[in-house]
Amino acid sequence: MPVITLYYDRLLSMLKQPLSRQDLIDNLPYLGLDLEEEAEDYVRVEFNPNRPDFSSEWGISRALNGLLGFEKGAPEYPVAKSNVTLKVDKSILEFRPFFVGAVVREVKFDDESIRQIMAMQDDLDNGIGRRRAKVSTGIHNLDAVEPPFEYKAAPPDFRFTPLGYGGEMSMKQVLSEVETGQKYGHIVEPFPAYPLITDKNGSVLSFPPIINGETTKVSTETSNLFIDITSTNMKSAEDVLAVLLTALSDLGGRLESMEVQYPTFTKTTPDLTASKMDVEPSFINSLLGLNLSPSEIEEHLERSRITAKTTRDTIEVYVPRYRSDILHPVDIVEEVAIGYNIANLTPTLPETADVGRLNSKLEALDSARDVLIGLGLIEVMNFSLISRDTIQKTTGAEPQEHLKVENPKTGEHEYLRDSLIPSLLTTLSKNIHEEYPQRICEVGKVFNRDKTEPREIKEEHRAAVVIAHTKANFTEAKSYLASFLSQLNGLSCSTKPADDAIYISGRAAEVETEGRTIGKIGEVAPAVLEAFSLRVPVSAFELSLEGI
Amino acid sequence: MQKPLHTLERRLLKTLSSKKEGTLEEVTKEAGLNLDQARRAVEWLKSKNMLAADIELIHTILLDTEGRRAVKEGLPERRLVKHLSEMGGETPLDDLKNQFRTTPQEFSAALGNARRRGWIVIQSVNGRPVAKTGKAEKTTSEEALLRRLSEGRVTLESLSSEDRLILSKLEKRPQYIKDKESKTTKIRLTPLGLETARTLGEDEELDALTPKLLVTGRWRESTLRSIDVEAPSPPIYPGKKHPVQRFIDEVREIFVALGFEEIDGPIIQPCFWNFDALFIPQDHPAREMQDTFYLAGVKTGKIDDEETLRNVSKVHEDGGDTGSTGWGYKWNPAKSKDTVLRTHTTAVTVKYLADFKPEETRVFSVGRVFRNEKVTFKNIAEFHQIEGIAVGEKVTLRDLMGLLSKFYSKLGLKRVKFWPTFFPYTEPSLQSVVYFEELNKWVELCGMGIFRPEVTLPVGVKNPVLAWGGGLERLVMLRHGITDIRDLYSNNLEWLRRIPLCR
Repeated sequence: MPVITLYYDRLLSMLKQPLSRQDLIDNLPYLGLDLEEEAEDYVRVEFNPNRPDFSSEWGISRALNGLLGFEKGAPEYPVAKSNVTLKVDKSILEFRPFFVGAVVREVKFDDESIRQIMAMQDDLDNGIGRRRAKVSTGIHNLDAVEPPFEYKAAPPDFRFTPLGYGGEMSMKQVLSEVETGQKYGHIVEPFPAYPLITDKNGSVLSFPPIINGETTKVSTETSNLFIDITSTNMKSAEDVLAVLLTALSDLGGRLESMEVQYPTFTKTTPDLTASKMDVEPSFINSLLGLNLSPSEIEEHLERSRITAKTTRDTIEVYVPRYRSDILHPVDIVEEVAIGYNIANLTPTLPETADVGRLNSKLEALDSARDVLIGLGLIEVMNFSLISRDTIQKTTGAEPQEHLKVENPKTGEHEYLRDSLIPSLLTTLSKNIHEEYPQRICEVGKVFNRDKTEPREIKEEHRAAVVIAHTKANFTEAKSYLASFLSQLNGLSCSTKPADDAIYISGRAAEVETEGRTIGKIGEVAPAVLEAFSLRVPVSAFELSLEGI
Repeated sequence: MQKPLHTLERRLLKTLSSKKEGTLEEVTKEAGLNLDQARRAVEWLKSKNMLAADIELIHTILLDTEGRRAVKEGLPERRLVKHLSEMGGETPLDDLKNQFRTTPQEFSAALGNARRRGWIVIQSVNGRPVAKTGKAEKTTSEEALLRRLSEGRVTLESLSSEDRLILSKLEKRPQYIKDKESKTTKIRLTPLGLETARTLGEDEELDALTPKLLVTGRWRESTLRSIDVEAPSPPIYPGKKHPVQRFIDEVREIFVALGFEEIDGPIIQPCFWNFDALFIPQDHPAREMQDTFYLAGVKTGKIDDEETLRNVSKVHEDGGDTGSTGWGYKWNPAKSKDTVLRTHTTAVTVKYLADFKPEETRVFSVGRVFRNEKVTFKNIAEFHQIEGIAVGEKVTLRDLMGLLSKFYSKLGLKRVKFWPTFFPYTEPSLQSVVYFEELNKWVELCGMGIFRPEVTLPVGVKNPVLAWGGGLERLVMLRHGITDIRDLYSNNLEWLRRIPLCR
């Protein structure tokens, strides 16, 4: 989850009333911010991805002012009209078709506010923007270029000077040589032509979603900004624009709209109109377990920086445009809870007439464990995912039928086990310095493709036992097997000769009970023991617990 | 009161009473014990002040590389004189030097020694030095000692003073001799030991009661020797549940006591139940391969529940008739058929809701879940999740807080607080934070919330669903004071055998 650094003095100065540093720290969690680090002059907090507006100190101070009752209701973000226009060329429509933007005037940046805006841009590009694949943002020095602008597809050999570079290079080169090109190039590489934003004179503002041009570089001297947002999804693009503009406005900028001319229609952006939602007070009260009056609800929503008006039995809620996380009246319920303050909610206990019970199938596994433990075996728990190496050591062959996961971060977790025995041999192998005899068991799931319907996967509960000591043999394993089945279910079993790669030939058998084959038993082959570095004989059995 | 003597102690005492003193190895052999038994008896007797043990340093004299060569091929002077004989017993010194293949230093040392012994004499013929064989060569004392050293173990301590002198000559030759220091234990009886040994007597007491003694009644004429009841006994290990399983069972018991019914379901899930039905948009980062284990080459067949499928698709796109705006994208049914190792047990829970459409119920599960994580001291790729839901017409967020507080208090955790948080499928959502006395700190545990209408309505559940869930391992670690999560599943037998059932 994204993390943001907040300097106490800056944040406290943005609050409308004085607050102690400790009160500030204590209140942050009640906005849903998770404290990561408390330092001398700053605190680092993690914010949830549903609140991109918390990616800057302006968004957080806005919410804090509400939570503490210093400033309530939705903030106003007036937008004036500018004469800036941008033409969306039809050449770009099949690749990255959406553009929204705005002009922000008279911004006063300092080093920290520039840093925060950049960090915020990164968080937006990564979060809603899905690492720029869906949305990417650019902020430009408007005074360095001349509208009208154009958004189009350009040939990969088109040359310009990317931000932070001394000379021109082709867009193709940018993808291979510039860091952001290497990182995000995969988004545009499949296209025959790449997105480009230029001004009236052909100066390059941006090669979205990769990098801006050097021409429109922003510094503490910059005061008039042009915001570009390109996207594959119009709604997400507007969500991002709203978050970015509200922060820039809180920072002191004046917002101005622009005209975006698509081939078939024209759109004025941004549109920061609040959306209206009707919510019943009874809905809010029943979910929270409270009995709030409509005016109390209004008050708590205002503290969540949301404007609300009661009309008869319904509360009309006006959701500010930057709160793109609010999809349903249930989200308003949470806003009421936060405005009410979760710290003030006291727990209650619901009534119930029902009695609880365990799952009968899992209870059968409990019984299997009880018997095995009564037999003096130590239970171990191994992972369902095992390594290629473990399979090879056990079977002497490459994994074949095993189910494999894609792109595991470690080779230890690559294949789903189809038997408990390989993990148990690994366990023995890790314990060769512990006292013998070692008698261990495991009850757990194994995974197989269905023999008749390979698309279906069978998850099967099994029990397995391994016995390791200088005199471990088939007979001892069989004694445990027979006792296990008879103690668990009163079943008797027979063992029919059947060779298996992991057991010594002529010392392995299939286990049959009531006419069904339910497992295998045997003395583990010396080659397998050697592969696991085991220096004592091992006998073992494994049974399916399905239907027992 | 004097402690009773063990058979091993008696045997050692007897052997030593005649021998007075000896190395541990000698005495052990004589007493007919093995080294391990003797060592134990020595320790016991020492603790009873009957025996003293001294550790002595022994220097074993060993041949080094050149020394071993000299044993095989003879000392250099011996080889030189032999070479001279082979050249006819007389030859110019320069020829001898050129033909005797060795370093100049070794040649001059060999020549020097041979001349000193009179084996070779140098005469001047026509102004040139000529070497001639001298008197007959006998075996030297140096050669004799070398041979002794090559034939068996010789210690410095066992050498006579003459031999030591010879050894010092050999030591002057480079790489002939090395010595190894080792320790040996000498044991002897103390006056108390000697006296005890004297009074041991011949009439051996019986070590153990046997069936024969019982049957014949001869036990009446014998005495069973006393044994050292304070002596340690060999360990014995019972069968045991794995500590994680034991904790799982404890959690299950608490759920049952709170009126919850246990449910269980598959680990392998289609994305539909693991993500889509939980209103997690198809481009959500959690669905990416770097976080989630997808099964290679396995697509789930069709989702049987056509109606749910349609509803879920609509809720993602525009909210359907749930009152939500939805996510505003084109939902792709193919993506919902990819197969994953469940990332949470909530996949099983939502399938349960779709299957039974309960108006009122309480169910729970504790099951394995998977994340494609690098394994570190705080993360593993496969772990257990606890999850409980309560469905009812009148259940509230405060009820959820109450249920979870009750759940924690049954685990012995009494102080709980709640913060707002975010999960894609619950709203409102809370994070519970629990105070641990032993650590003197607050720890984030279960997350919780009310399932979003975008989750419950498409599966046909009308009433609110309270849900909470969290990792089990963290609780087990806190319970047992474990700081590395990997230790829980390393299956170290020493740990499993030792860890007590109760705290």
